[in-house]
Amino acid sequence: MARGTMMTALISETYFVYRRNLKTWLAVPANVISPLFISGLLFVIFGATFERSISLGGFGTQDYRAFLVAWIIVQVVVFSGADSGFSLLTDIMSGYFDKLLLAPINRFSILFGSLLVSGTRALLQALVVVFLALAMGVDFQGGVLGILAMLALAVVFGLVWSCLGIMIALKTRNAQVTQTSGVLFFPFIFLTTAFMPEDQLSGWFKVAVKINPVTYVMEAMRAIVVDGWDWPTILTGVWVALLMMTVLLMATTWLYRRQTA
Amino acid sequence: MTQDNIIQVEDLVKVYPGEVKALSGIDFAVGRGEFFGFLGPNGAGKSTTIKILSTLLRKTSGKVGVAGFDVGQDPMAVRKTIGFAMQEVGLDDLSSGLDFLVMQGLLYKLGRKQAKARAAELLELVGLTDVADRKVGTYSGGMRRRIDLAGALVHRPEILFLDEPTTGLDPQSRLAIWDHLNELHLQGITILLTTQMMEEADHLCERLAIIDTGRIVAEGSPADLKQQIGDDVVRISIMSSGGAGLSSAGPGVSPEGASSGSTNGSTNGATGDPVNREVYDRALALVSGQSYVLGSSVVDDELVVSVRDGDASAPNLLKLMIENSIEIARLAVSRPTLDDVFLQHTGRTIRSDNGGGDEFAQSLRPWLGLRRGQ
Repeated sequence: MARGTMMTALISETYFVYRRNLKTWLAVPANVISPLFISGLLFVIFGATFERSISLGGFGTQDYRAFLVAWIIVQVVVFSGADSGFSLLTDIMSGYFDKLLLAPINRFSILFGSLLVSGTRALLQALVVVFLALAMGVDFQGGVLGILAMLALAVVFGLVWSCLGIMIALKTRNAQVTQTSGVLFFPFIFLTTAFMPEDQLSGWFKVAVKINPVTYVMEAMRAIVVDGWDWPTILTGVWVALLMMTVLLMATTWLYRRQTA
Repeated sequence: MTQDNIIQVEDLVKVYPGEVKALSGIDFAVGRGEFFGFLGPNGAGKSTTIKILSTLLRKTSGKVGVAGFDVGQDPMAVRKTIGFAMQEVGLDDLSSGLDFLVMQGLLYKLGRKQAKARAAELLELVGLTDVADRKVGTYSGGMRRRIDLAGALVHRPEILFLDEPTTGLDPQSRLAIWDHLNELHLQGITILLTTQMMEEADHLCERLAIIDTGRIVAEGSPADLKQQIGDDVVRISIMSSGGAGLSSAGPGVSPEGASSGSTNGSTNGATGDPVNREVYDRALALVSGQSYVLGSSVVDDELVVSVRDGDASAPNLLKLMIENSIEIARLAVSRPTLDDVFLQHTGRTIRSDNGGGDEFAQSLRPWLGLRRGQ
C-alpha cells in the first residue's frame, strides 16, 4: 500500500476510534459533572483557606485565587490521565479492545484515538477551570491569547499523564491498580509551588520542588495568569512539557506495540 | 477436498509465558462452507486455537492458513475475511445497538451510508430492530449474543468464528442462536465454533474435533464418532451393599460411598468404599469377557458397557450379574452421546472436568485474569 493511502487510512481509523471513545466518555454524565464540581470545590475551599497568606509576599499577585488557577488546572489534567488508563482497561475487560484488534485497521489508530480523547478531555477540563476563574473575577494578565496558550499547554501536559495511565493499564491489566494509580501522581502535584511561591519554601521541600518537572509547567501556566508574557518562565514550562510528552509517547507506543503484537 | 480447504492447520503449538503448553501440536482442516466444531472441556485449548486463527494471539510454531493467507505473515488479509463472535462478548455497553453496528461497519471500511444500511439489515436479521436505540448495556444475555453475532457479520465474512456462542444462555435464547447459525450455514458461510456442550456440537456441526489438554483426540462427523465407540451403551449401577455377602459397610447404602460417588468425577472413582470398588471391578471383569461387549469402564458409580445392540444385550447383562450375585440398582440403555465419545478417548467426562482446568487457568492468570478480573 502506498504511504499516502496508509496515512489517510490511519487518520480516518483514528477518527472513528476517537469519536467512539469520546461518545462513551460523554455518555456518563458523572464524567462531565465531576470535574466541574471538583474544580469549583478546590477554588472555593483552598481559596478561602489560604486567602490571607498572600500577605507573606512573593505571589506576584494580590488575588490568591489567581495564584491557584495553575495548580487546579494541573490537578484536573493529571487526574484525567489516570482516567484514560481506566477507559482503556474497561475496553480490555469487556473484550471490546479485542474487537478493535480484530478489525482490519492499523492498530495504532486505537492508541492514537484514545490519546486524542485524553487531549480533548484535558482541554475541556482546563476550560472549565478557566471559566470558573473568570466567573470568580480572576484577571488573566496574558489576555485571551494567554488563555489559549495555557489551554494548549494543558493539553500537552494532559497527554503526558494519559500516557502514564495507559501504560499502567496495559502493564497491570488490573482495574483496581489502574483506578488507584492516580495516588502515585499526588506527590508530583503537591511537591510543587501549588500553594506557596518558591520564595516561601525552604529546606528539603524546596529541593524536591525544584527537581519536580511539574513545577516548571505549573509556573509557566501561573506566569500567564499572574504576570502576562514572562517568556523565560513560559518557555521553560513548554519545553519541559514537550520533552515529557515526547519521551512518554515513545514509551507508550513501544509498550503498546509489544502488548498487541 | 484439500484444494478447497479454507482453514488449514499443521502442527500448531502454543506455549504461554511460564512454559504453559496450551496446544501441543494440532492438525486439522476445514472445508469451504463447512460447519466445523471444537468440542472440549474448559482449558482444553479451544479458545487458544480460535484466537490464533483469528490473529488475536501469536502462535509459537506450526502452520496456520486461513482463507489462503498465513496468519503470521498476512494478518490484515485474514482479518478482512473473518468475523468473530466472542465468549467474552466484546460489546460497548454505553453505545446503542445501532451505533455499535455502525461503528463495526466503519471499522470494516463500509463508509458511513453503507454502514448504516448494513446495520439496519443486520438488526432485522437478528430481530433487534425494536431495541436498536437502546444502550447495549440494557440488553439481556441472549440479545447481547445476537447483537455480537450481527457485529461479526457486518462485512459479510467468508468465515465466522464463534467462541462458545451460547454458554450461559437459557434454552430459548440458545435455540434462537442455533437457528441463526443454521441459517448462515445454509447461506454457504464457513463456520468454526467452539463449545463445551455436546448437544450444541451434535445439533450444529457437520464435523467435529474433540480436543483435550491441547491435543485433538478424535475427529469426524458426530454420527461417525458415535459409531466408532459402539452402537449402544448400557449403564449399570450396582447396589453398594451387594456382592460378597457380609460387608463391613453393614446393611443399607454406605453413606460414605454415596457422597463420594456423587462428587467424584475421576475415571475409576466408582466409590470411596473399598468393598464397593471390589464389586465394580469384579463386574467389569465379567462383562469384558462377553463376546457381544465392545468395551467397558467404570465411571461415576456406573458400569458403562458398549454393545452393538443395547436392547438385546441388556437382558444378557442382567442375567450375568444375577448369576454372579451382583445386585443391580439400576440399568439403562442409551444410544451413545458425544460425551461417551469424549469419555472413550480421554477416560473422563466433559462435565465432570470442571475442576481439571483450574491449574491451567491459574497459570494463565495474566491472560484470563484481565478479562474476567472483576
